[in-house]
Amino acid sequence: MKLAEALSIGQKARTGGASYTVLLACGFSPLHLQTFLRGHLQRVLPERTIELGTGLYGSLADTLEQLPASSSKAAAVFIEWPDLDPRLGYRSLGGWGSADLLSSAEAMLARLGKAIQAKPPALRMVVSLPTLALPPGFHTSGWQASAGELALESALSEFACKISLLPGVLVLNRQRLALTSPVQERYDFRSDLNAGFPYSIKHTDLLAEAVAGLLTLAAPKKGLISDLDDTMWRGIVGEDGPDGVCWDLAGHAQMHGLYQQMLRTLADHGVLLGIASKNNAETAEKALQRPDFVLKREKIFPAEIHWQAKSGSVGRILKTWNIGADSVVFVDDSPMEIEEVRAAHPGIECILFPKGDYAAGFALLQRLRDLFGKQALSEEDAFRLESIRNSQQFLEGVSGGDLAEQFLSSAEATVTFEWNPPVEDGRVLELVNKTNQFNLNGRRFTEAEWHQLTTASGSFVASVSYQDKFGPLGKIAVIAGQENGSTWNVEAWVMSCRAFSRRIEYQTLKQLFAKAERIQFAYRETPKNGPAKDFLRGESVLTRAEFEANCPPLYHRIENHHGQHRRAVS
Amino acid sequence: MDNIEERLVKVFETVFPDLTVDQIHAASQSTVSTWDSVAAITLMNVMEEEFGIEIDFDRAAELSSFSEILGYVKETVAASA
Repeated sequence: MKLAEALSIGQKARTGGASYTVLLACGFSPLHLQTFLRGHLQRVLPERTIELGTGLYGSLADTLEQLPASSSKAAAVFIEWPDLDPRLGYRSLGGWGSADLLSSAEAMLARLGKAIQAKPPALRMVVSLPTLALPPGFHTSGWQASAGELALESALSEFACKISLLPGVLVLNRQRLALTSPVQERYDFRSDLNAGFPYSIKHTDLLAEAVAGLLTLAAPKKGLISDLDDTMWRGIVGEDGPDGVCWDLAGHAQMHGLYQQMLRTLADHGVLLGIASKNNAETAEKALQRPDFVLKREKIFPAEIHWQAKSGSVGRILKTWNIGADSVVFVDDSPMEIEEVRAAHPGIECILFPKGDYAAGFALLQRLRDLFGKQALSEEDAFRLESIRNSQQFLEGVSGGDLAEQFLSSAEATVTFEWNPPVEDGRVLELVNKTNQFNLNGRRFTEAEWHQLTTASGSFVASVSYQDKFGPLGKIAVIAGQENGSTWNVEAWVMSCRAFSRRIEYQTLKQLFAKAERIQFAYRETPKNGPAKDFLRGESVLTRAEFEANCPPLYHRIENHHGQHRRAVS
Repeated sequence: MDNIEERLVKVFETVFPDLTVDQIHAASQSTVSTWDSVAAITLMNVMEEEFGIEIDFDRAAELSSFSEILGYVKETVAASA
């Protein structure tokens, strides 16, 4: 983006949309950084009115310390070395070689860390660590890293590691930034000395784009469906045999091994993996069972291996996972298969596995990380696949009339309601913002909006966990709203598709009706929330009597846990 | 208007969106209230981007009106051609 374009975007932005208030915190003059950040945010959020505030010029720490009183929904923090000590820049003449530089920088990092820790819990913050080089005031030649520089880097790394673990804080990856913004093109000496703005225009653009991307990070994909031949491994298993396909350096097929390794990493982080391959199942299974198969066979479920169309295979896998095509990535080495799947499943992200193109292979690994990256791992990530396997067994059990009733009654199910869960529990908002099917109205919330809804006077919120004799499903539902006398208004209600057919939705309402006489739902139809619509049968108001007349038998054992800050249902 | 003048008017329109073309031709730091130090730097950077030139910061103080800037840009573009 050029500076003129960024200025134009800011000027042409529509007003009247819901506002998105961001604090830009930096110790230098915000000048073009403000323009580019606004431009990139506006491009990502065209319907929103971007309100960009800036802090106190010259003192990053003071700006951050005022955050608790700020009404900003997000903050973009740009730290440069002079913020840790002005002597680490070019605008101060206090001496570069001072012995106390390290202790001074460490003290400032501690102050910044404390201010960041004290930020409002619902505020999302992106922190950019120094992107510019240290000045030349060290005793070694420029090619030799001095102990002083390394000690400063070490102190910075320790600070970054600590803040990266705080809820709602995202630290910009400096290594990834270096791929797009070369270090030697970042600093503008002329601008720094004359205007107090240290970045080149190009670097400002790329840095602002990266930070805007993190501030508005899209929901990660949930599953990946892969082809086998010339994708999972090099070769055609039907021709080369299970022992003839390869994925290592010796077979000149390391890219395939790295792809497997990447998938294994994703699976360990809770990503669902499926196979859609046109092959003889028995032969392909033998290759998948090889002891040197980097991505272990048990990480894959389900595997559709036969000679039928891949679009059908993908459809069945989506049904088993019970997620939409837009949450899934499909990888295949055949452009024809890619097109067939893309046409049948609009929204699915299709990636052509590169053949003999090392640059494209390297880029594929980075792209997979980006598509599936999540801010933090949750307990549910560890057992998502097992839970889907168990769900398959469960659904087979409940699909048969009276037997189904018997099955539900013997499932030994426990439903746990956590009323007013802690704000730091990111899984609650993640569920609200990721769930499409059983979703009352499809409304998405920023951390700040969610905080506002759930901490207002008279509000209630519960996260719901489930487990039965087949294993735990983890946290699978959230309901939130307002108590209004005997009528309770439900503003948000979502339930993971993994939890369908267990009558958890009935149990949830039963808990509310323990106090409420009447429940009003802020229902709105969306293209995807058919299950919620079916459950409510078009009604937006339900009385206790109506509920009790239609509620099927419930066999759950109930546990209620209460948060500390607000009144809870008992 | 020649090509450089038209392009410079567009640069001014980007930085000072509230000015009409006539006002741009008569614009100077003393007549345009929004032409502050930040706008001056922004104007210089957008001009550099548009014309592919590097503006001498030491001469920036002399460039306080549209006509002065137009003369400077024509001179710099001709020198670099």
